[in-house]
Amino acid sequence: MLACLCTVLWHLPAVPALNRTGDPGPGPSIQKTYDLTRYLEHQLRSLAGTYLNYLGPPFNEPDFNPPRLSAEALPSATVDFNVWRSLNDHLRLAQNYQAYSHLLCYLRGLDRHAATAELRRSLAHFCTSLQGLLGSIAGVMAALGYPLPPQGAEPSWAPRPPHSDFLQKMDDFWLLKELQTWLWRSAKDFNRLKKKMQPSAAAVTLRLEAAASDL
Amino acid sequence: MATPVLWACFVVLAAGVVAYAQRHSQQDTHVLYERLGSDVTLPCGTAAWDTAVTWRVNGTDLEAAHLNGSQLVLEGLDLSHSGHYACYQGSSWHLRYQALLHVGMPPREPVLTCRSNSYPKGFYCSWHLPAPTFIPNTFNVTVLHGSRLLGCEKDPAPKNRCHIRYTHLFSTVKYKVTLTVTNALGHNSTAITFDEFTIVKPDPPENVVARPVPSSPRRLEVTWQTPSSWPDPESFPLKFFLRYRPLILDQWQHVELSDGTTHTITDAYAGKEYIIQVAAKDNEIGTWSDWSVAAHATPWTEEPRYLTTEAQAPETTTTTTTSFVPPPTTKICDPGEVGDGVGSPTGLLLTVTVTVTVTVTTIAATGLFI
Repeated sequence: MLACLCTVLWHLPAVPALNRTGDPGPGPSIQKTYDLTRYLEHQLRSLAGTYLNYLGPPFNEPDFNPPRLSAEALPSATVDFNVWRSLNDHLRLAQNYQAYSHLLCYLRGLDRHAATAELRRSLAHFCTSLQGLLGSIAGVMAALGYPLPPQGAEPSWAPRPPHSDFLQKMDDFWLLKELQTWLWRSAKDFNRLKKKMQPSAAAVTLRLEAAASDL
Repeated sequence: MATPVLWACFVVLAAGVVAYAQRHSQQDTHVLYERLGSDVTLPCGTAAWDTAVTWRVNGTDLEAAHLNGSQLVLEGLDLSHSGHYACYQGSSWHLRYQALLHVGMPPREPVLTCRSNSYPKGFYCSWHLPAPTFIPNTFNVTVLHGSRLLGCEKDPAPKNRCHIRYTHLFSTVKYKVTLTVTNALGHNSTAITFDEFTIVKPDPPENVVARPVPSSPRRLEVTWQTPSSWPDPESFPLKFFLRYRPLILDQWQHVELSDGTTHTITDAYAGKEYIIQVAAKDNEIGTWSDWSVAAHATPWTEEPRYLTTEAQAPETTTTTTTSFVPPPTTKICDPGEVGDGVGSPTGLLLTVTVTVTVTVTTIAATGLFI
């Protein structure tokens, strides 16, 4: 049933969210995508904190540093610096798109066994935002004339055999970790794309009169 | 003919050297490390306990009170006990034992910090001991990234720092850095674990310069450069935080800038000297740098207009206006009246005028206007 759900979700982001006339170019939508990644990063921070506390120790310990076991299924943000730097725009966007498609799929699986109603609500809210990010990336790709990654490709994830409770929690932990890393990488990816599209960036000035000078 | 003589000489010399070496092999300088506050007993080599000996510390004789037979007893070692100890037997001053004593401490748990000021190239770790050991220490650093062991390249100077290069970016696996410090009296270690992006902290911006803006008495133009240690500002842009205040006030004003390395302050108090500092941060990750070296500047002020006639009378009244308008004269300078001898009062008025103007401009120059 979960596989069915994932296939449905796989097709959903195919529809570009944009339908504008007088398109000013991909610049504004890249900015929007960048802003979305920052917003999601912020959202994830509180969501992850709550979820890890729900999982309990050792998952919510700050120094928890387990070895990576069955994590081949998850899309990894880790990349060699020179490879990352030399990615062409299409590939850069496609990698982001594919990663979040997979991650969203897994995240919906997480939702299933989350205990408290509040946690389920937070997860649902996050999934919706992540859906929005996918739509935004799709919009940028469409604006730049890139085709979306092939829809027929089966996600490498398959229905998981019944795990032990601990291993299930480990999977959850790595999913959140990977999400966090991807969001942080996406910010850098979209920042790079933004710079390419908009050579003259406007300076945002925030005036704060603080009594203390601490930051 | 002379060869057998030479050979004999050589043999005698060799024998002498061997004898000398044999004699002094028992007097090789021992190197001792002892703990502060502990007690130590130094034997006089192989001399019997009841042998008459003389102990010397750094060439000075020691009193017999410290002796236990031929052995030297030192109780409650402190740093002043460090030095060269020698034991001589009998009236022939036969050196039986010598040692270099170093009084010190085993190392306490070191303090280790890691930081990336050159993201994404790599990061460095630096350490120090919370208390001195007074004896030489060796440091060993190991870096674990998941299951991979990375090398930490030691800096020649400062010598309590080493560098690690990032091989991959955007890693989900934490880094674990372990530092072990060892000396002759013991060892200790500490370890820290962190994610790649949490230790990012750039160096402060460089070359912060503040300049007045001509014809703008409330503006200051500030420029700076991204720190030279930040390798790739294009791909990993920095944002900046600027703070400024006049020297006479304590309250800072802050401006956050997401782009660019220049900013114009438009609300400076006229004529006041300002102190300005800038800090930098990666756009998305890590923490703010320390504040930069401060720049000082005073906004542009109008040049005082000096009259060419000299002041003669002492300063009279003071006014608070920046521009001086000479009071209307009641006397009209009528060329027809010059011959009447009325010229001198006019001349006096002119002198007074000059004096007041000079006073006004003096006030302006000292910046008392707010």
